[in-house]
Formats: sequence, structure tokens, C-alpha cells
Amino acid sequence: MNIELQDIKFSYGPVRALDGVSVRVENGACGLLGPNGAGKSTLLRILLGFLRPDHGQGHVLGHDIRKDPFAVRRLVGYMPEDDCLIPGMDAVTFTSYFGELAGMPRQEAMKRAHDVLYYVGLGEARYRMLETYSAGMKQRLKLAQALVHDPKLLFLDEPTSNLDPQGRVEILDLIKDISSKKDVQVLISSHILTDIELTCTAVIILNKGRIAAQGDLAALRQVDFSLYELRVKGESGPFLRALAEAKCRVEETEDQLLKVYLPAGFDRRELFRVANRLGVQVRHFVRSQTSLEDLFARTVGVD
Amino acid sequence: MPIAEQGYVHWEGRFDARRRPWRPIARLGIRLAFRRKGFKFVLAMAFLPTLIFAAGVYISERLDDFKEMIRGADRFLKIDPEFFKAFYASDNLLFWMLIIMVLAGAGLIADDLRHKALQLYFARPLRRRDYLQGKVLTLSFFLLLLTLLPGFLFLLLKFIFSGSFKLLAEYPWLPFSVAAWSVVVAGFFSLYTLALSSLSRNRRYASVLLIAAYFLSDIFFGIFFGIFRDPAFALLSVKNNLQQVAAVLLGAKPVFAVPWEYSAAVLAGLSVLAGAVLSRKVRGSEVIK
Repeated sequence: MNIELQDIKFSYGPVRALDGVSVRVENGACGLLGPNGAGKSTLLRILLGFLRPDHGQGHVLGHDIRKDPFAVRRLVGYMPEDDCLIPGMDAVTFTSYFGELAGMPRQEAMKRAHDVLYYVGLGEARYRMLETYSAGMKQRLKLAQALVHDPKLLFLDEPTSNLDPQGRVEILDLIKDISSKKDVQVLISSHILTDIELTCTAVIILNKGRIAAQGDLAALRQVDFSLYELRVKGESGPFLRALAEAKCRVEETEDQLLKVYLPAGFDRRELFRVANRLGVQVRHFVRSQTSLEDLFARTVGVD
Repeated sequence: MPIAEQGYVHWEGRFDARRRPWRPIARLGIRLAFRRKGFKFVLAMAFLPTLIFAAGVYISERLDDFKEMIRGADRFLKIDPEFFKAFYASDNLLFWMLIIMVLAGAGLIADDLRHKALQLYFARPLRRRDYLQGKVLTLSFFLLLLTLLPGFLFLLLKFIFSGSFKLLAEYPWLPFSVAAWSVVVAGFFSLYTLALSSLSRNRRYASVLLIAAYFLSDIFFGIFFGIFRDPAFALLSVKNNLQQVAAVLLGAKPVFAVPWEYSAAVLAGLSVLAGAVLSRKVRGSEVIK
């Protein structure tokens, strides 16, 4: 078990930031989602041992987050959201420096810095001053410093923020490679749901300090309600109103594709009965998968 | 830029069990200071007082040869605690130390705050104490170069030029006093610099703060002393307090008619205040926003 938290509670003064959070994260990449103020940052602070929970227990890679935060930080790599650098340094010195601070011997940290900089695609630019780096290069550099001490677990905070589409794809490719082939587990905190969909096999959704949903992403998409895609011929207005009255949520795309979310217990044949009653032909009827966006919207209670 | 298709290789080494995390921090601080524009020149200039006093040690043993040149100034060339006090409490040396603090120390924390590097530091197994120790050692390295090194150099030159250990026989505590004062002034100035550096995210503002706090305290002393003629106002000045404590530690006569304990208390109070500022401004829990 990489991360195991049981009934974690934490308050900033009178404000309850986490309220009974229990989490289990196993192998692979896991997304940490939630609206602003949901408690994601507090959860990361607790996992890194910066904050002591008011209540509950937790272990990261087998180390108690209360008693042994240093061991946790030694085995964990952290890539912050902000652009962090030390001016006046090149990438090799920068990366090896943080390897040394993690406890690596100096020469090994330097050797390893070269390796990880090549791995993240900064091999050719490793002797350039950090001030001259582009946003994408800084993002790779942050990933390199997080990897330099060969962590067993990586915390990535908004890893694709401020990146152009190409840079985003490349960083996501790296993350997928790390989590799927390199035996490094990844916890990604992000607001970009498609990033989570592309890289993660599991997800934790926080809302108002509580766990709104967690588990395998594929399984969560199937929970409670079904999504169908329809194309109809005829007057669709009355048909859509009838579906809405039957508690179905309907979205219409630009190319007239109807996405219909059936509530739990709703018989899908009822769709055809309604269509028949209103003189509408159903030309296309396919069961679809719930997107992470839908799942997120439903669990945190927003449209 | 394409991702290099070089495989990720796991590190087979072992973490250093007896590591001292302040060492790489201090080493990096020293290296980055030397890379600053004009720093080497300023550091060389800061050794000017050392050069002059070293020449004084030499001349003190050749008074007859330099009789014409010194014209009765030989009373300044007696190598005793007053000579060391004259060096350590000189405005000139303290000024150069301030300039070194500005160049090497103003950005030590301000730059980390500005570039959000604290996030990276404290995501490692690093205590706040380790971080601050590394920063203090960076500054102390330069300040001890300007204080401890010259002090022992003067003693060594005196032994060489006089061919005897008479100075040590007369003042056996002098090497310890030199060491003690060097540590005190380096420690105080390091805390003073780091605290002011942590108050701003801009190295230039921190530099202005450093210079302003030092000189304004001296200006206030000048104004109040000019009006009231009371030497107790010397306690307002950082420089005067340092000179008072330097004189006492070196076994020389204090500069002002104020109990040296008061000056020591002012310096200790400022150090405690600096420590409190640092503990408030440098926090691990601020790492993740």
C-alpha cells in the first residue's frame, strides 16, 4: 500500500479543512481532484508531513506520517505547481543539489542529475542558466528534481499548468511512462480533468474536506447511472422536455447528438416509448461511458 | 523538444546516514556569491584594512627604519589588545563587512522567497534549522574571512617579525578573544542579514534594508548624542554596540562610557528578534499553497 489514511481530520482554526478522510492508494497513477477549497493542498501537506492531522492515522510507503515525516520525504518526490528555481544555476547543478539535499552522496547526485535530465528531455540544455528556460523546460526541470533521488512515489501538483498543447502532451507522456513502466507510483493533483483521464487509473475526488468519490476510474464511471447517446429525427423539443420531466439529464452537442443520463432504476426502453408517443424516430442509440467531467460534476454537485 | 528515449534507470545507491544537509546549502551560497558581478573585487577591497594593519605589525618591529615616515605615530604601532581593538572596531572594517553582507547575504532568503525555492527545499528531509544553518554558514564564511583570518594572521606575523612569543606571554587570552569576537560578530551579522533578507522577496529591497537599518541607527545616535550629550544613546547604534562589545572581549578600553553589558544585551535582543523573524518567515507548512 503506497498511501493509507484513516479518518484524517484537520482544521485551520475554526475552519475544518479535512473531515474524516480515509484514502487507499495502490500501484499506478492516481488523480487527486476537487474544487478550490476542497482540501487537496491540505491533504498533500499532511502526506508530506508538514501538517500533523488533528485526528486519524496515516502511512506513506509504510512510514507513519506523524512519527516519521523525514523518511516519507526522502522516499517521495514532489513537483510543485509554481515555477521554482534558484537563479544563477544551471540545470545539472540545480538537480544534483536537490539530490544531495535528499541525502544522496555528492558525486552520485551529480551523475544521477545528468541521467534524469536526459530522461526528461533536457540533456542538451543541462548547462544553460535556469533563468533562460522556457515554461515547458522549467516544468521538465521540476520533474527532474523530483525524480533525482529515485523516489518510490511522486506527488505532482498541476504538472501541465502554463504549458502549450505540445508541451502538455510531452509532459503527460513522461508521466504515463513513469507510472506505467518505471515502477514509480504517481499522485497527480490537477484541475485539468482530461490530464487525469489520460494518465490515471484511479481517482480521489475531494469536496468540502470529505471524500466525494474514490477508486478505480473505470469502475467509478459506471456507478449509479447510465449514459446513452441518441440521434433522433423529428421534433426534438417535446421529446427533450418529456425526458427532463422523467428526471433524465440531457445534453445536446453541436452536431445534434443527444447525451442522455438515465437515473438509477430508469428502464432504457422507456426512451423508445416516449419517442414513439411523441412521433420521434430514434436513428442512433449507443451506450456511452461517463466522462470524468461528468463524474466530477456529479460528485461535487455542480452542473 | 522531443523526449529523449533514454530509459529511466533506478538508483542503486544508499542515502547518506550521517548527512549534514546544511553543507550543500552553505557550499552553494558561497559559490553563488563568488559568481556575483563585482563580488571578488569587493572582497579583495575588504581586505584593505587587513593589509594596512599587517603592514603596521611589520613596521612595529622596524620602528627605527621607519622613524621618518611615522613621525611620532609609533604609539599606534604597539601590538597589544588596543591594536586589535583598533582593527576590529574600526568603521572601515565594519563598513566592508556590511558591503559583503549586502552582496553575499541580501538575496540568501529573499531570492528563495521570490523564486519559490522554499517549496523545493522543504519537500526534502530538511529541517528549518538545517536550512538556516546553511545560510548562516554562507555568511559566516565571508565574515570570518574578514575577522578570524586577519586576527590570527596578525599574531603569526608578530611572532615571525619579533622572533618571540612575548605577545602571547603578556596576553595569553588574546587568540581566544580574537576567536570569540570573530564568532560573535559573524553570528550577529549573519542573523541580522538573514532576518532582513527574509522580510522581502526582492534582493534590492533587502539590500536597502540592510544598509538603512545599519546607518540609520548610527544617525539616530548622532542626532540624540548631539542634542543631549548622553553617551547612553550609543545603545541606539548597531555599530557602537558592536564596538563596545569588541573592546571588552579584546581586553581593551570601551569606546563609550556605557556599561558594555547593555550593549551586549542590545545585540542579544536584536539576535533574538532576528531569530523570531526567521522562524515566522521560513516555514515548511507554506510549501504547498
